[in-house]
Amino acid sequence: MSQPKQLQQIPPLKNPQYALGYWQKVTLSIWLIALIVLPFADIEIVNFDPFLELTRMVEGLITPDFFATEYLWQAIMQTVNFAIIGVCLGLVLGAPLALIYQHPLISSCCAFLRAIHEIFWALLFLQVFGLSPLTGILAISVPFAATFARVFHDIINQSSDSPLESIDSRADMISRFTYGKIAQVMPQLMSYTRYRFECALRSSAVLGFIGMPTLGFYMETAFRQGNYSEGAALLMIFIALIGTIRYWCPPKLLGVYLVIACVTLIDIPDINSSLLVRFITHDILPPAIANAATLAEVQWSSLTAWFSDLLSEQAIPGAIATITLALLALAATHFISLSAHMMASKHLWPTPLTWLGRFTLLMGRSVPEYILAFIFLMLLGPSMLPAIIALAIHNGCVIAYLAVKQSNAIAPQEMQISRLNQFNYHIMPTIYPSMMALMFYRFEIIVRETAVFGILGIMTLGFYIDSNFSEIRYSNALMLITCTALLNVAIDIISRRLLKFEQTSQVSC
Amino acid sequence: MKTLTQLLALYVLTLSLFVGANASAATFTFTAIPDADESQLRTRFEQVALYLSKQLGVEVKYVPVKSYSAAVTAFRNNQVQLAWFGGLSGVQARRLVPGSRAIAQGYEDQFFKSYFIAHYSTGLALSKIFPDITDKTFTFGSKGSTSGRLMPQYYIEQHLKQKPQQAFKRVGFSGDHNRTIVQVQSGTYQVGAVNYKVWESALAAGKIDTNKVKVIWQSPTYPDYQWTIRADVEANFGAGFADKVQATLLNMNSPELLKSFPRSAFVKAKNKDFQPVEDVAKQIGLID
Repeated sequence: MSQPKQLQQIPPLKNPQYALGYWQKVTLSIWLIALIVLPFADIEIVNFDPFLELTRMVEGLITPDFFATEYLWQAIMQTVNFAIIGVCLGLVLGAPLALIYQHPLISSCCAFLRAIHEIFWALLFLQVFGLSPLTGILAISVPFAATFARVFHDIINQSSDSPLESIDSRADMISRFTYGKIAQVMPQLMSYTRYRFECALRSSAVLGFIGMPTLGFYMETAFRQGNYSEGAALLMIFIALIGTIRYWCPPKLLGVYLVIACVTLIDIPDINSSLLVRFITHDILPPAIANAATLAEVQWSSLTAWFSDLLSEQAIPGAIATITLALLALAATHFISLSAHMMASKHLWPTPLTWLGRFTLLMGRSVPEYILAFIFLMLLGPSMLPAIIALAIHNGCVIAYLAVKQSNAIAPQEMQISRLNQFNYHIMPTIYPSMMALMFYRFEIIVRETAVFGILGIMTLGFYIDSNFSEIRYSNALMLITCTALLNVAIDIISRRLLKFEQTSQVSC
Repeated sequence: MKTLTQLLALYVLTLSLFVGANASAATFTFTAIPDADESQLRTRFEQVALYLSKQLGVEVKYVPVKSYSAAVTAFRNNQVQLAWFGGLSGVQARRLVPGSRAIAQGYEDQFFKSYFIAHYSTGLALSKIFPDITDKTFTFGSKGSTSGRLMPQYYIEQHLKQKPQQAFKRVGFSGDHNRTIVQVQSGTYQVGAVNYKVWESALAAGKIDTNKVKVIWQSPTYPDYQWTIRADVEANFGAGFADKVQATLLNMNSPELLKSFPRSAFVKAKNKDFQPVEDVAKQIGLID
């Protein structure tokens, strides 16, 4: 980024040379890394005639069929129900953890839980609770609780201590904490919770891809089977649902919705504790341990063979593909965020045009990556490219959406410069640091999201995990899930070390 | 203290949800692996449930599932007692639930087959001998499918003497037979393996452009889809219940109901019929 202050103060020199600023270095290194990784990535474009299928897709999009989906109303209800109950349970579990989050054990546990994608949580809970709403709700609330713990902790920590001093020192601890600390950050906590609710709606729909009775269930089927009119209708309903949250779910009504959600939730079958026992004592143990009667009988050689095979044939290739995909997606996300932010900024365009831009951002962040990748797969063939583009569009639009909110709040300087210059030399430098911080926060999410593409057939760790679930090899699947989580935690630590800035944890999804 | 009260209310509400989990009555539940045409799947299978319920005199419910493995899990966990499985998923399920048995299969399933299909640009044409598809890009169907994955992979390994990952330039899993056809037709993959029934119904529906994609090889026949029932239904629904279910399935002759599968009729089946599938699955390392 240019440095406006210096530009204004220093009279024109003959050959002005400036040292690279911090953000310039960071930006350049993102792109440098992407360039280095690029030759190793599989981004071949192979497609002979995608136009037949594309024509059908476009036809579907302009003739959405809202009556093709059976039990549509139920699917919408369940999508909302899972999200509401999931978020509430996440709050119930996560908020108390926020108070003790400073403990390294708690924070690393939370990082671990967070790092596992909702889809994997659901696949695990599926073995224990079966096709029950409980599977979907827990799959949302466990990672959400871990996120709430971290973000709430950060928010409370950043709040000032001065209100505490004005409270009577005889007041009990809970009152002091509630009125001195929580009261001042309450709006932030509320707005974050509301934001997470949008995320939960998305997660809830995505869980449909693996069998939960939400909108995603029918959406995935419709696209996979080529019923594009039905798919388009479902997509529109879903985008409308997300775009209008603030109208149908004001915070005051959340309690009411929770009650409705609990009442209208489909029946929860009995929980069979023997399934849990079987899952823990048999299913998830490596075959060599599960088949041995006593510890003495365990064949250690077959155990190590199992472990090293799994590591060399699945975990390592999967991890390499995951990291490659994530790094390329990060650079692409950077590009999309900048352009999408520009498209919707009120500093550049007259108001009606910014609505168009905002609508595009809504589309970009609401359409599940899976569907985006699905469309690009048709267009570009089965390489990593569709996944990179899907990740970039989705995450870029999320970042741009949040950045637009910030940048629109900035008052333009009253100077005789063009709109474009105003935007480039005042608005962008002001919001760039927080935009970049957001992007690095999203990096953690990009790595998680690569899992979804595994299910679509791109050979990330998610692909191998999905394969193991379909081969009923839960021990392998759990091993790989653990690897994924550890990889995520490691990336988180490294990126924090490298970038010594306060991550604004206000926003994440 | 308003915040605290609100928080407390949330606690109580959320917890009460879990306490309120209701007990379900003895309902006979079945599922069917997703296949071919999934639109209006639930509506169609609820007709089957209605038929079973009338004939068996018990309440019958259909549970929709998304994947082969979800069907196996539901069967293993006794969430469903009867399931319409593929060859491989049936074998997996019966291995996990001792005593469960295959009771009926579609007439066509006694001699099921896979088609290998290719994009026109490959220049491959229908042949009796296994086509030379080394170094092409190849897509299977779903990972757990018998006709879209297991059997094709077996024949590939037999003829090319290599694992698919080594034999082909790129290997994909389209996830679904219809998807395989679409992806090969558009050239996304050069060659693919597909369930012959799905190919033929897509052809009849005019969804295939035979100038772009054609069948280049058909596999030898093998047993595929079947109904499998758990052993403990005898205890829960009365002695002889499994046989009653078997008779009911064999007597299902309404074309309307059979269309959901889609099969012309159901015939008897037993576990031993699927030994070839199990052997093949072991050979290519899909089961231990």
